[in-house]
Amino acid sequence: MVLAHRMALESPLVEAEMIEAMEFPELSARHDVNGVPQTTINDGAGTLVGAAPESYLVTEIQKALKS
Amino acid sequence: MQTRLLNDAIIEQVREVFDQLQEPVEVLFFGQEAGCEYCEDTLQLVQEIVALSDKLGVRVYDLDRDASIAQQYKVDKAPGIVIAGRDGDQVQDYGIRYAGIPAGHEFSSLVHDLILVSGRDSGLDAKTRQFLAGLKEPILLQVFVTPT
Repeated sequence: MVLAHRMALESPLVEAEMIEAMEFPELSARHDVNGVPQTTINDGAGTLVGAAPESYLVTEIQKALKS
Repeated sequence: MQTRLLNDAIIEQVREVFDQLQEPVEVLFFGQEAGCEYCEDTLQLVQEIVALSDKLGVRVYDLDRDASIAQQYKVDKAPGIVIAGRDGDQVQDYGIRYAGIPAGHEFSSLVHDLILVSGRDSGLDAKTRQFLAGLKEPILLQVFVTPT
């Protein structure tokens, strides 16, 4: 799932952190990580489970920004 | 002597894809002395990878002793890795980070990221680039993964 990292490279406003869920159980529990990969947008404003195509992640980011 | 983490077959594969490396890439490693089960292995892994190309370098920091540098790169977990560009002595941070050991599937993500950052081009669709160019506020994407 390098897509998030591609977005970070593209935009100075995007940061993307890949987190090994089992090493950071508290953070994973806080974000209810059950399936991987799980992408959490802005600390929980949006969540997406599974590998997503570019357009889908963009849509989810747009939704998260409106919430 | 320390046992190598990468075997000969993997080294050969990685060397081959590293032919695609273009501009220099700097990996910033952040470890922590206490309670970091995977710091040692992660550092060794990063060192073994960057040794495979002279376009790759690594800088080693400690989350506590180098707190201001960690803060600058927004690293708050150990082991933490930042994949940054390097231009002369200047490190260019793109906000590309890993928390935890990039093993298993994430090992290939790391290799891909090094090539990606080296090319300085996201390779994203025109539509996605357009959306990102219009962003007005910061976005933090946290991708939770497991090694298998």
